[in-house]
Amino acid sequence: MYSKVILFLGLLASQAYAHEMTPTYPELNPSYIDGVSVANMKLFNRRSDVEYYKIEVLTNDWKPLPFASTSKVINIKYSKSKLFSVYIRTEDVEKAVYICTESKVFKGANQVTLISSRICSKIKQSE
Amino acid sequence: MIKKLAAIIVLVSATPLLAVDSPIGGVVQPKCSVWTDISGVYGHPLPYKLSTLPADGGVLASIRYDIAQADYYKAKITHPNSFSSSPTLSDAVAWTGSSIVGQVSVTEMSAYEAAKVTYNNVTEFDMTLAGSTWFTVSSTASYGNTKSLPAGSYTAMIKAECIAK
Repeated sequence: MYSKVILFLGLLASQAYAHEMTPTYPELNPSYIDGVSVANMKLFNRRSDVEYYKIEVLTNDWKPLPFASTSKVINIKYSKSKLFSVYIRTEDVEKAVYICTESKVFKGANQVTLISSRICSKIKQSE
Repeated sequence: MIKKLAAIIVLVSATPLLAVDSPIGGVVQPKCSVWTDISGVYGHPLPYKLSTLPADGGVLASIRYDIAQADYYKAKITHPNSFSSSPTLSDAVAWTGSSIVGQVSVTEMSAYEAAKVTYNNVTEFDMTLAGSTWFTVSSTASYGNTKSLPAGSYTAMIKAECIAK
C-alpha cells in the first residue's frame, strides 16, 4: 500500500515542463532572397502551461536586430515540435550572435511565481 | 515430396538474405532543456510580506537544466524584482531573492554553487558538465515600511535562461 502511495507521489513530483531548441550553433546560409541569410531552427514545447514562444535575434551586447520569420511569436502546442526559419539581412550577419526563443507565460493564479524560460543558440560565425 | 523438398530448399536459400546488416544511425548534438519542475508559491507570513521560503509558508521554485554535452551552455536565472500582476500599490516594494544549486546528477556539479556569478537579481552558472542540475529559486517581497499588502492576486516572474557559450 505504502509503495503505491510513494510511487504516486513520485509521479506527481516528476511532473515537469520543458523548453528545448536546437541546433545550439546554427549556421547562416544564403537564402533564396538576394542579400538575406537564413538559419533553420527547431523548437520543442514540452511545457503544457505555454503555447507561445517569442523569437529574438540579438547582438553580442543583447541588443535586438531586425529579422524576419513566418511569425515573431510562434504558436506551438504542448509536446509538439516546430521547425522555423530566421531570415537576417546580410549586412546584419556579422552583428547577429544569438537566436533566442522565450516562453510567453499567461498571468497565473493567486500568489505564485511564474517561470519564463529562454534558450539562446549562438550563430556559427563563418571563418 | 519433390514439391516439399523444393519449398524447403527455397526457404533455406532465402534465409541468409534476411541477415543483412542494418546499421542504426544517430547524431548526438549539444542541447539544453529548461524544465520548470515546481513553480513557486508565495506564503503570507506577515501583513506586509510575501515569501516563497518554506518557513514563511511558501513553496520554493525549482528549475532543472538538462545539458546534453559538457561546457556548451551557461544558465542565467533572474529572480523577481517586481510583480507582473498585483493590485495597485502606492508604496515601494523591497525585493530579495536567491538562486542556488539544489540536486545534481553528477557530484562535481556541486562546484557550480561556489563558482556562480551574482549581480543585481541575476545569477549565472557555468554549465561545465553534462547532466541534470536543479536550481532552487527563492523570492521575498516586503511592502512599504511594514504596510499591509492590499488584498488581491500577486504574481511575479522568474526568468530561466540557457545561453550557448
